[in-house]
Amino acid sequence: MTERKRLSNSQISSQSKRPSSSFVAQEEDEDAMLTQPSTSQVQKGLEKLSPAQVDQKTAEVVQYILVKDQKKVPIRRADLVKNIVKDYRTVYPEIIKRASRIFEQVFGLKLVEIDPKNHLYILVNNLDTPPSNPSPVEHPSNPKTGLLFVILGVIFMKGGVVRDKLVWNILKKLRVDSGLKHDEFGDVRKLVTDEFVRQRYLEYNRVAHTEPVEYEFRWGQRADMEVSKAKILEFMAELHDQDPRSWTQQYKEANPTHTSSQASSSSHR
Amino acid sequence: MSRQLGDSHRRFLQNMMTLGITNEQEAKALYQNCCETHKTQCAPDKLDEFIDAINSRLQPMFMQIRKGMSEENGHQYYALVNMAETDITRMTSDYADNELELFRKAMDLIVSSENGKVSSTDILNCTDTMTSKSLKKSETQHLLTRLVQEKWLCERRGEYTLSTRCIIEMEPYIRAMYQDQVKVCHICHNIAFQCQICENPLCGIKIHNPCVARYFKGRTDPHCPACDDFWPHEIPEVRGLRSQSKR
Amino acid sequence: MRKAAAGGDEEAPLQNGSSGRRRAEPQPVEGDDRNSSPGGLQDEYDDNDLGRRREIRSKYRDLINSVQQNREDMLSPSNNRLTEVLDEADKLFQDVRQAREAVLDAHLLVVTTDLGKEKASQLISEGSAFDSTVFAEHLLSFMGLNRLEDEDDEPPNGGAGDGYLPKDAWHRLARRAECCFRTAPSFHYMMGSFYAEPPPPKQRLERQKKAPSKEAKRIMPTQLKKMEESQEEATEKEVERILGHLKSYYQEDPSTPISYYEFVIDPNSFSRTVENIFHTSFLIRDGLARLYLDEDDKLPYIEQVEEVEEEARSSVSRKQCLVSISQKTWRVSSF
Repeated sequence: MTERKRLSNSQISSQSKRPSSSFVAQEEDEDAMLTQPSTSQVQKGLEKLSPAQVDQKTAEVVQYILVKDQKKVPIRRADLVKNIVKDYRTVYPEIIKRASRIFEQVFGLKLVEIDPKNHLYILVNNLDTPPSNPSPVEHPSNPKTGLLFVILGVIFMKGGVVRDKLVWNILKKLRVDSGLKHDEFGDVRKLVTDEFVRQRYLEYNRVAHTEPVEYEFRWGQRADMEVSKAKILEFMAELHDQDPRSWTQQYKEANPTHTSSQASSSSHR
Repeated sequence: MSRQLGDSHRRFLQNMMTLGITNEQEAKALYQNCCETHKTQCAPDKLDEFIDAINSRLQPMFMQIRKGMSEENGHQYYALVNMAETDITRMTSDYADNELELFRKAMDLIVSSENGKVSSTDILNCTDTMTSKSLKKSETQHLLTRLVQEKWLCERRGEYTLSTRCIIEMEPYIRAMYQDQVKVCHICHNIAFQCQICENPLCGIKIHNPCVARYFKGRTDPHCPACDDFWPHEIPEVRGLRSQSKR
Repeated sequence: MRKAAAGGDEEAPLQNGSSGRRRAEPQPVEGDDRNSSPGGLQDEYDDNDLGRRREIRSKYRDLINSVQQNREDMLSPSNNRLTEVLDEADKLFQDVRQAREAVLDAHLLVVTTDLGKEKASQLISEGSAFDSTVFAEHLLSFMGLNRLEDEDDEPPNGGAGDGYLPKDAWHRLARRAECCFRTAPSFHYMMGSFYAEPPPPKQRLERQKKAPSKEAKRIMPTQLKKMEESQEEATEKEVERILGHLKSYYQEDPSTPISYYEFVIDPNSFSRTVENIFHTSFLIRDGLARLYLDEDDKLPYIEQVEEVEEEARSSVSRKQCLVSISQKTWRVSSF
């Protein structure tokens, strides 16, 4: 973060009543506090505040999440509390509930908590994309979406986990060399193993007991929430000019509700 | 005051988030598309009401879909704008501090110029007087390209102007911050950058080029609407007749 | 297991050398080898050809390397290389008599088993398999790959090395893949991303000063012009003065060549020296004097160009040279 922004951040945190003697301790504290407010506590807290105050705090939370979502990196609950919620932490559950409602009702977005251990939030689209009726106004496309499709697609088709070498190998065939600077993606290795991982599109872990060390990719939590396996499979089928049901296992996974009926129909083929 | 929104409103707003700015024709098409997608009533002349409904719910977050005119072609545009400056809005990460400083310096130059333009050379020279981390010339060039791409500046033949998106969002800010430098168009009363100026030193009113075109259309002997002196500039043609006649 | 094999790899040449030397000795030295072989085998094939063993080991290592390096392609269901590798290993093993070769065989087995396991894990019991090589090929087509003409001599990995992608290739893919993602659009703005501040007053003052000062603008250039003119005049006068000196030195003693450095250096002033060099260069540029290197001492000398000569000289080819002088060299040369 840049100097000035850091400054304004520290201003914000210094406004909170508790002295920030130990940064980490305070964060943990705040996180711990959050799990505590019970329904009755929240009720009590709300009584002390005017509806306008709660509304304003809610709007600030929405604004903060929108700003933080620009980079698509999940928002930590601890940061949200420290920077925005501050003295309202006793009514935090109510505020996050209202913020979620605004995202749904006004923006058509869904505020999702991923990673229940670290309490991270992301925004996902709550509206279905209608391929039959695409937007009449052309908008700029993001080439990174194409790159993500390739990697997530391979992981999915390979049963949920692939060695990193396989990914680099495919990308190389697509003229994206992980060792070179790419026109569109810059430092590809960094983009894939750092940015996509921080955004939680991908998980990138060392494979145990490998010598030399090897790594593997899996879908990250954002991908789980944001990416449709059925749509991926559909596009795969289109690319291969093949029936999506011919990949039985993947088809079952992508369409869990239809499993029984579709499986029987595929067995007829 | 705040109305219930449907999925068509939400989809329209999402499109505005992605696009940032869209012209009136596109906005109408988008409105129709959103209504069709979610099978709701669509009255072609009710776009502004449709947008008002969205705005009523955006207001608490200091956001708005705002209408404004392009100085370039005189058409109406809609832009999704932020209306407040707070600790939260300053947390935006789209541009670094020094990039924002350079943008502001470019804006200073454009606002204080007579014709609302600044040359790339003048912007590049600004980097010498920066208080935050200085930008290299190549970085500045790259930044300017990005600012054009992301629709904050326009560029033509090495000269930069404020984009329609920028003017729509920044108008209140510019009016407040550049009080004694900024002038409004005598015809449409919006802030004027790229315009024609009455040459009578006692008058000196400004008129946007598209407003000039519309105002003086068909007149052989144009005179200043304020001082009645002869209007010595070339009168541009009215552009985009098709969209005009549609109304 | 792999570690042991790798260690063996490194030691191999050294052992080869030493065992070769020790061979003359009556004692069977290979007995203290870590990879000691059973005595029976050893006795029976005591005169085993070392060269043949080395060849076997080298072939094993090549196989291991090829499996490790082409792992991803070998994983592809359409790839038969794994079978070929195992066949080759079978053939090699027929000649394996000693433990060191057997260790390499075991190592290859580890590598191929690992690969086989992964290959098998891809073959999900029912339905079609997914071949990432084929996938990459389809993607390239979708992205609009311009394939090069000679497709016949394509390498087996699907010709991924040929052709080039159009500039919008990844945008094309992104546009189609977008519908798989339920990405929330994000909100971007300019207003409010920085502190509201009026423009610096200094700038406005400058502007106000500048605005009414059209006259000042007009005056400035003429002043500048005058200065430039006077500068030019001064240079001209200086050049003439120096030419005068050159001429008078020549007239005083036409037989003695004039050393360039003696001519330009002012032992009392470095800056005068630099000025002299500067002004003398005009004499040379204008063809009023010429510089030449003395054949004996290789030092530059300067001489006046006779007026008659002047015209003829104008057609003579010119050369440029740089003269550099620092305070230090000046101090040395002025003594």
